[in-house]
This record gives sequence, structure tokens and C-alpha cells, in this order.
Amino acid sequence: MSLIHRGLTLSFKVEENHLEQVNELLEAFNRQQPSKESLPDTFFISWLGVPPQVYAEKEKLPARILLMSSYVGSKRKHLQVLVEAIGEELRQVLAFTVGFPKEQITNKSLVRFLAKSSKFNTYYSGFKFISPKEVIPEKNLREWVYGWVEKQLQDPNFGTSTPQEIKDRIENAVEKDPNYNWAMKKPKGLGRSKWAMLSALGLFGLLMVLSLFIALVSIWWNLGSWVLLAWLFPFFIVSIFLLLVLLRKEENIEPPPIQVINDKDYLEIVSREKNKVVNEMTVIAPLKPGKFRRVFLAVSLRLVAMIRYFTYIPTVHTARWLQLDGGKRLVFIATFDNQSEAYAHDFVDSEQRSRNLAVIFSHVMGFPKTTWLIKRGENYRKDYMKGVRSFQFKTRFWYAFNTDLSVENLKNNRAFRLGLHKKMKEHEIRRWLLRL
Amino acid sequence: MAIETIIHGSDLELHDMQGILIRGYGALPEAKYLLLGFEDRKLAKSYLKDMHLLITNGLVKPKDQAMNFALTASGIKTLGINEEDFSTFLREFKEGMTEPHRQFVLGDKGEFSAGNWDWGQPGGEKVDLLLMVFAKDHELMEKILDREKERMERFGVKLLHSLPTALLQDHKEHFGFRDDISQPRIKELAKTYQEGDFPAGEFFLGYRDLYDEYPLSPSVAEQEDSMDLLPISYENKQRKDLGKNGSYLVFRQMQQDVVAFWEYMKTKTISEEEAILLASKMVGRWPDGSPLTLCPDGPNMDLSQENDFNFWKEDKLGLKCPIGAHIRRTNPRDHLVTETNAKDSKEMAGKHRMLRKGRPYGKPLEADIDPLKMMMKADDGEERGLHFICLVTDIRRQFEFVQNSWVNFHKFGGLDQDADPIIGNHYQEGNLKTDEFSVPQFPVRKKYEKLPNFTKVRGGAYFFVPGMRAMKFLSKALE
Repeated sequence: MSLIHRGLTLSFKVEENHLEQVNELLEAFNRQQPSKESLPDTFFISWLGVPPQVYAEKEKLPARILLMSSYVGSKRKHLQVLVEAIGEELRQVLAFTVGFPKEQITNKSLVRFLAKSSKFNTYYSGFKFISPKEVIPEKNLREWVYGWVEKQLQDPNFGTSTPQEIKDRIENAVEKDPNYNWAMKKPKGLGRSKWAMLSALGLFGLLMVLSLFIALVSIWWNLGSWVLLAWLFPFFIVSIFLLLVLLRKEENIEPPPIQVINDKDYLEIVSREKNKVVNEMTVIAPLKPGKFRRVFLAVSLRLVAMIRYFTYIPTVHTARWLQLDGGKRLVFIATFDNQSEAYAHDFVDSEQRSRNLAVIFSHVMGFPKTTWLIKRGENYRKDYMKGVRSFQFKTRFWYAFNTDLSVENLKNNRAFRLGLHKKMKEHEIRRWLLRL
Repeated sequence: MAIETIIHGSDLELHDMQGILIRGYGALPEAKYLLLGFEDRKLAKSYLKDMHLLITNGLVKPKDQAMNFALTASGIKTLGINEEDFSTFLREFKEGMTEPHRQFVLGDKGEFSAGNWDWGQPGGEKVDLLLMVFAKDHELMEKILDREKERMERFGVKLLHSLPTALLQDHKEHFGFRDDISQPRIKELAKTYQEGDFPAGEFFLGYRDLYDEYPLSPSVAEQEDSMDLLPISYENKQRKDLGKNGSYLVFRQMQQDVVAFWEYMKTKTISEEEAILLASKMVGRWPDGSPLTLCPDGPNMDLSQENDFNFWKEDKLGLKCPIGAHIRRTNPRDHLVTETNAKDSKEMAGKHRMLRKGRPYGKPLEADIDPLKMMMKADDGEERGLHFICLVTDIRRQFEFVQNSWVNFHKFGGLDQDADPIIGNHYQEGNLKTDEFSVPQFPVRKKYEKLPNFTKVRGGAYFFVPGMRAMKFLSKALE
């Protein structure tokens, strides 16, 4: 079983005059959330209607309905789960969209329809390889072991045991308890999922290395048509360089002014963040003018997707970026710990992070100007914050499997569980015990 | 007035700043915070105009008395600023500390709820101005207060609350711990540069901040400033900068329950030494101020003012100073659990510092504030606490961020249900608990449960401290 976290993004065109009804419907669904049992593979669902936006002052980008979910496992199965759990809601909302069959359609046809509306997205998860069904058991396991150790401490000899002796006794106790002995086995599919996640990057790296190798070998030997492969690496480098030069030209185009959000709307948006631990935000903005920007962003998003195993954004549960409408619109959604007023700072407070994220965000209207993507101008931070808020939309329906555990909690619970199987040195055991 | 001119700070327009921005008036032990309400625009402006010469600026170091002031959003409005100009103030300032979402962000619910406050509460008396009066002794303070009361009467200004202060011995606060050790150093005011000094723009408007940008500063349309009192705005050359040499001031009156604090320590431990150790673990320093990170086994007087230490290398796991300790939450230095290295942690933590200016109030439970004696004392019925005052240029990034993400967020640093043990709001609501404190130790962390609220907010508001020119503008222009 795959434990890779994925993002499903479904996008549907909708007539502008239906948008209000759609959003009202979604707000109503939001008040009657589906049960967690009905969505066993799903962490989050964000669902909203997006009004038309204008690209480069002349092109009207259509109103859309976006449904974005975070799930674990296969896409096909996830679509089936969604249709089973919220099929009726989907039918009611999709009835407003362009191209949705007028007649009643079966679940199977609905799955097919949804699959056709799916878009590529670059997806990030802050707690990789944990499935929803493991979240609560891992939390309970850690709490149970903590309670068990506390009880053992009533025996004065327990406290004087060596770290290895304590670890052995914990493992024995877990092994013997029928409610928790599942934890003595490694999560199924963990290793395979890690390799699968790295496969695209591995393949890409392999091709580049092979290209270099063939280029080198072809100096001495005639490799026939294999020599074509030697051009792959230089082609990639030259293409990126060319794109960067073309982008540089477009960086000089002054984007049209944006409508800055007023205090009332700002307050209305942030006031929706009522959860104490996990909240969500959605930002959708047209790109700044320039066709090479669109291409550059598309390439960047695919490269970022390849390295997602190694990426890290503190306090973020999940995030995704995608382009819509021929690449002229960027969608960004994130679920994060605490409030967005704090979370949004995480991007700009760190020099390195704000530089990395400029590779994506600098193409979008409302975001500060850059030079060669990384050199930032005056008032970068202020304008960044303004940009985020000016293009933020209310997520009308938001489902979250977990609203009580922070990213660190999830990672800590998992690390404790995995420690049950690991051989450790004494100082490692001491650290592991501190996870309790 | 006896004064002494200071020589450094040449990059700052000290003459245009109110003195509270530059110093805490430590040499003037008597202080009163007066909360005033305006009744009439014209009279309020005359009151301010009349006060101009009485305000101590940043250039002088007074030896006998000082007076500074700050305005709330309603005070600014009463003085006649128009909607467009008013909109240039920070959103948090305009909304005020008691707007429902701000209350949510600040964690002001339950016992902390603004509905329970003595002042600044929603629907309560409208506070317009905070007058901060400092004097060398009680007699002089009384004289100044008589003068001020007469001025208030003359200009129809209402005295709503008079908040007393009392400096405690050895710079301590009421729980018995040395306070005010970790203050950010301002680069432009320091005689010599040290790594980690903060640019003035973090605390004073009109100067560059840590992002090398000018902080958002309130401004007025050029034509409003017909007397040409204000400098040109950095944001918009068609406007005048009302904020230059000013700052935003956050005021929270925090009542401290000293008896409950030591009672809790006593009931959770088996000896007085252990009670002090637990309290020190919660604070992160020993009562004398020495940091647990440097001297985990006992206090060290030589380190009582020590502030040059970090956590990443010295105590990443919190075995000396717990991750959830008060000083680790309000200034995590180089160790944020969510960051992957010390450099990033330091960079992130540095963006959320405040310049503290407050003072304690109320009679100490024990004259010498000795924890051992305080542990034995019964409740004397007296109210005591801290008037927390800080200066910032970005209320949300600095004060509210710390309050929300570090002090009250019970998941801070990967913890489960721990708000700040000293100043956090401790409560239980369904599955949600914020009233625990975890002490990492072998073989398993020690969890202290059901922490009562050792502090409670009794009042609070956001203020704007104008510069001297801005003060003149507010009192003379906008007629």
C-alpha cells in the first residue's frame, strides 16, 4: 500500500451568475461535515467557488469551482471514496458547472467525470508517509506508553534501569498488549513509498548522469545513436538558462496595479480561522503578464514536485501550487499550525525560504518585483504580505481529518512508533524516551 | 528640570522622540500610568497643545521627573483625523485589543476575557490617552499629579483610572524572579556594535527594520499639514509621515497571584528547594536571574544578569531549561523546534522581539520578595502584578505573534497541551487542554497538570506614541 501523500485538484468552469448559489451551497455543506469514517484516506478537503479574474488587463479568466483534497494512496480509489462520501453534494454543486451531464449519473460515471477534471499540482506534506488511519492509534500508543512508564516509576528499581533495559521493557509491554501490539510491526509500504516518491528525481538524475557519461565516453568511442543522449544534459541546462534570460526581460514589464484588500474584508477572512491548532488558507491570483513566466513557472513547479521528498516548510501540514487557465492563474492552498497571521510570516521571516518561494510566487500579481528571480526590491516583505491577503479567498467548505495535532505532534508520534523497531545506542534511546 | 544630554544615538532624531522610547526612567522610581478620556475635540486639542512643553523628549536624561503620553485609536479620532488618514494606522491598532478576533488571537478567553477587565473592556469607558508620569520621589509625584489633575479639569479631560506602580528590589517581579534581563539592544543607540543588535526600525517608526524596510507608518495628506510640521512619508511622497519617531505601545495589566503560584509549587514537590527548582524550570531562570541553561544545578549570582547564552548546542532537548519554559517561549534564541538549524532559528526568533518598558505594581507579598518566605505566606488580599508595556513597530509580527504562537499556543515546540506556565492562559475545553507543563528528564518527562492561571489580564489597549512634531501636528492642525 502506498503511503505517499498526494493532492487531488478538481477544477470546473461555472457561469459567474451561479457562483453565489454555489458558495451558499458549499457553506451549507460545511455546516454538515461528512464523517471521518466515510473518508478513510483523506486528510483535508478545500472546496470553493472562485470569481473571474483578469489576466494582463485584457483577458477574463473564468469563474471556477475548485475542489482540492489531500489523500494517501491511489487516485482512482480516492475518487471513489469521495463519490461515496460526498457524492450527493458533488452532484448538487456540479449541476451548476459547464459540461456536467444534465441527466442523473451513476457513481461510476461521476468518478470518470471527476477524473477528467483533475489538474496537475505540486504537493507538499509536512508529515510524509502517515495515513489518516494511523494518526489516532499512534497518538494513543504514545499516551499509553507514557502512562505505562509512569506506573512503572512507582517501582524505584525502574528509574535506575539503563536506557536499553527501559526500552526492552517498553517493547515487551507493547508486544503483550493486544490493543497496541500492532505497533511492533513496521508500517506497511513505508520503504516502498519512500522509493516511489524519489523515483522521478532518481530517473531524472540518472538520465542527466547518463547523458554526461555518454558525452564523455563518446570522445573515445563511437556510440552510434546513443550519442543523442549526450545532448540531454546540455539541452536541459541551456533551456533553463534561456528561460531565465527571457524571464528577466519579462521581469521588467510593469504589472497592472492590484486592488488591495480593505480592512473589513481582511478581518472577515482571518476571522474564519477558528481552530486552535490547524487552519487553512487559499490564495488564487492571475500571473503577471508574459508568456515565458507561464512556462518558467510550469517548469519550476515540476522540478519542485520532483524534489518534494527533501523540501521542508515549518508548521505546514500540506501545501499545493498549481496553474490553471493555460497557466495564467496560480492556485496556492495550505493547511498549517495555528493562525495564518503567524503562518504567513514563516515564508518571509527566513531569508532562504523567501528566496526559494520567490521562484514560485514572484510570477503572481500582487507579489513584489524580483530581478533574476532572487534579487528582491524595496518593501519586499510588506508587499508580499499585501499580495497574499489581496488574493486570498474564503474556503467555503473545509474538511479536516485532524484539527487537534500539530505537525510536530504527528511527526513525534510517528518517530516514537518507529523507534520501537529500531536498534539504538544509549544516547539515542534517551532521546527517543524524551518523545514520550 | 535637571538633565544630562546623552551623546550617542546620533543617527536617531532623539529630540523628536518621546523619552519613553529611549529609556525606562530607572532613576525615577515613582511612576503612575493615568488613563484619560476626552470629552470634546477642541478641548482635547488644547489639552495636548498645553502639554507640549511638559513632555520629556529622547535627548534628555531627567533626574527628577519625566512625562510621556500615548493615544488610542479613539483618542486619535477624537483629535480630528479624517478616515483616509486614520486608515493608514496598523489594522490591529484600529481594531483594538478587544475586537473579537484579536481576542481570539491573543488567547483572551475565560479568565483572561476582556469582559472581566477593569479597564479597556468592550463597552466600558472609552480610554483615549495614556499619560505616563515619572518622578524621583513620592512628594514630587504628588505635585505633578495635582498639576495634571488641574490641567485635566481645565480642558474637560476625564481621569478614568490611575494605575500605580512600584519598583521591587533587585529588579524582581512579584513571583520573586529577577526580570527585565533580556532586552534587545538597538544598534543606533549602542556605543559599540554587537552581533545581534537590532535596527531602530524594529521599535521606532521612520527607521529601517530587520527586513531593511521602513515599517508601515501612519501618514496624512500633504495638504493637511499646512504648517509643514511633518516629514515626507517614505511610503508615498505625496503624504506626510505622522509616525516618524513614534512607536506603537502595547499595554497589558497582568495581575499576579503570588500565593497560588507558590502554593502550586509546594503541593507538587516535597521540599522548599524542589519548589524553587520547579518554579525556576517554569521561568527558565533561578530567582536571582541566573539562567538554568548555564547553571542547571543551582543559582549563580555571578550570572544573575547573564543574557549571552543559546539553546541549540547547550540544551536542545530542554534537559536544563524545559522547551516550554517562559524564557524559551518569549525569546527562543537559536532554538525553535520547527527549524532545522540554529541560524534559521535565530533569524526567525529575532523577527519577533519587543522593547519592554513596563513596571510592577502593588505591594510585594514579602518585603524582600524571598521565595522561601513567600511560600509560607497566606493571601493578604492585596492586588499586585505587572503593567506590561512594550514598544513595537508591527503589533502583529511582534507582540501578537509572540502572544499567539509562542505564549499561548499549547503545541509550541512540539508540546502537547502546554501554554506558557507563567503568563499563558491555562484552561480545559472539551479535548483541548492548555494547562500542563512538561519537564524533560530521564527516563520520561515529568508532566505537571492542572496549572491554575498564575497571571490574569485585568486591562489592556493598543496605543500610538507620537513623536514631538506629530504631537504638535495633532494638537494644532486638523482644525
